[in-house]
Amino acid sequence: MGVGSASQSFSATWGAPLGGLLIGPAFLALAAVMWFGSLEIITPGAPTPLFDKSALTPGGLRPRMDEPPTSLIGGYNQRCNDCHQVFTSRFDPSRPPSQHTHIHFDHGINDSCTNCHARKNRERLILRDGVEIPFNEVATLCQQCHGPVYRDWKRGTHGKTMGSWQMGSPAQRRLVCTECHDPHAPTYAPMVPLPGPNTLHMGERAEVVHQKPERNPLRRWTTPARDADPHPINEEHN
Amino acid sequence: MRLPVVKNQESVHSSASSCGDGCTCSGGANPYTGSTRPGMTRRSFLRRGAAVTGGLAALAASLSPLRDLDGDDIPSVQKFLQKHYKEMSGEEMEEALARIRKEVEKRYDVRPDIRDFKPMDGVEFVYGLNLSRCIGCRKCVHACVAENNQSRDPEIQYIRVLEMPRGSVDIEDGDHSYDRATVPDENHYYMPIQCHQCANPPCVKVCPVEATWQEDDGITVIDYDWCIGCRYCEAACPYWARRFNFAKPTLPKADLNPNMAYLSNRPREKGVMEKCHFCLQRTRQGRLPACLEVCPTGARKFGNILDPQSEVSQILKTKRVFVLKADVGTLPRFFYYFDERDPISDIPLEASSEHAGESA
Repeated sequence: MGVGSASQSFSATWGAPLGGLLIGPAFLALAAVMWFGSLEIITPGAPTPLFDKSALTPGGLRPRMDEPPTSLIGGYNQRCNDCHQVFTSRFDPSRPPSQHTHIHFDHGINDSCTNCHARKNRERLILRDGVEIPFNEVATLCQQCHGPVYRDWKRGTHGKTMGSWQMGSPAQRRLVCTECHDPHAPTYAPMVPLPGPNTLHMGERAEVVHQKPERNPLRRWTTPARDADPHPINEEHN
Repeated sequence: MRLPVVKNQESVHSSASSCGDGCTCSGGANPYTGSTRPGMTRRSFLRRGAAVTGGLAALAASLSPLRDLDGDDIPSVQKFLQKHYKEMSGEEMEEALARIRKEVEKRYDVRPDIRDFKPMDGVEFVYGLNLSRCIGCRKCVHACVAENNQSRDPEIQYIRVLEMPRGSVDIEDGDHSYDRATVPDENHYYMPIQCHQCANPPCVKVCPVEATWQEDDGITVIDYDWCIGCRYCEAACPYWARRFNFAKPTLPKADLNPNMAYLSNRPREKGVMEKCHFCLQRTRQGRLPACLEVCPTGARKFGNILDPQSEVSQILKTKRVFVLKADVGTLPRFFYYFDERDPISDIPLEASSEHAGESA
């Protein structure tokens, strides 16, 4: 009787008989959907792959070359002149070289070996005025064309300094041109960037020794992905 | 006060003695309320009981976070009584360092070389960053994490590399979560942001406990043992440079850098702020910051602005430098500049006209 009168008043008010009895379950269902739905949304994806730690080695990109390199030919380390005093060689920029094929050559209009390498003595470099210089003075060679950059490098505003910020300190060393730039292709090649700030998934998981994961305020985010996680949180410490 | 209490006890006692099995407490008791106490009705009993139960439950709930207390979270007496960095004498600092050494060794199985480096005389550090050269490879970010023992999980990074659209210096246009196969992208340039070590630092002004201050060499430092974690400084910083340890920082034992300083890269606790400190454990020994030494392009420059021969002095003399948000008056010691001719923007004419066609 009472229920009937209540539903009548409901139908009078809401125009839906017994609607009041459905509201509670509907809210519960909505709450359940939101709860589980929200869990779905914040479940993290796969961890970002680790990067090679060798990418963080300080210093230049290339080895310092104070001496001309040697080539391993016939089991012996041959110096440049061992061959080049016997064979004369020309370089035609329109055709690929028959020797030194590992050199990727891309230096703009500077497209001839002998612009920089001395024709008579391949273990020396040559300036535009015919003066031969050793390999360790390569900056003098480069500055013939790259004046503003050389000026900046002398000032210290271009290039890289290692060791110390104290000027004149014996630990301080300014890298030369060829320690960063490949002289045969001086433009920097594109690089693969290291992982970005992908919250909570950078690199390998740490050992969670003192922390109880289930009470971690960030547990929802630190919970491993559903199927397989290569770095599970150490459960044995709980 | 005593007499009524005694009376109550007697009445309770008498009612208890008068009750037998299956008692409905009608004999001698109030037949309507079921209580022998004057003023204690069933309703008021239930009400008080509910209040007491609820109160106890609330108390238990409020104390329940204590269950999460780790033995290591409770500060030792020594740490609790430790003075502010500036008030510590030499011996007290030695004691504090010995305590930290012990704690770190217990936690990471590594005996750290922790010291307290003081600013050098006649030195004021300044950082220069050549935006023409930065290619956005993020090596600085990760070298910094490796050097300064930041938490790996959750992540804390001091350097944020923004990918900026060409033609804009509005950092609101920047994106720090860019994910590209290779960098640099020809339509963007890259702007790393870290603590600018302002000469007029708003973060220091807002600290209610003076846990952060500016040293004589220009580095703004934090005493992690004094910080209360209110995060005011984080809100005050216009460069988003400060980081908060929301959870206990974790890092693999093998990755701990044992060369530490009290004010810089010693392991932090949950609930304290941290930020870039120009690697003072390195720079106060004459070395260069980790982010600079790993930079593959030489975009980063660091030095003493009081030395006219230093690289940063030369940059300020010869380059057109700018600082971020100069209008807020923070006087940063972190200067950005471009070279006269931007090598990355050297796009061939065809490519640039193609791109213009695409966007049109």
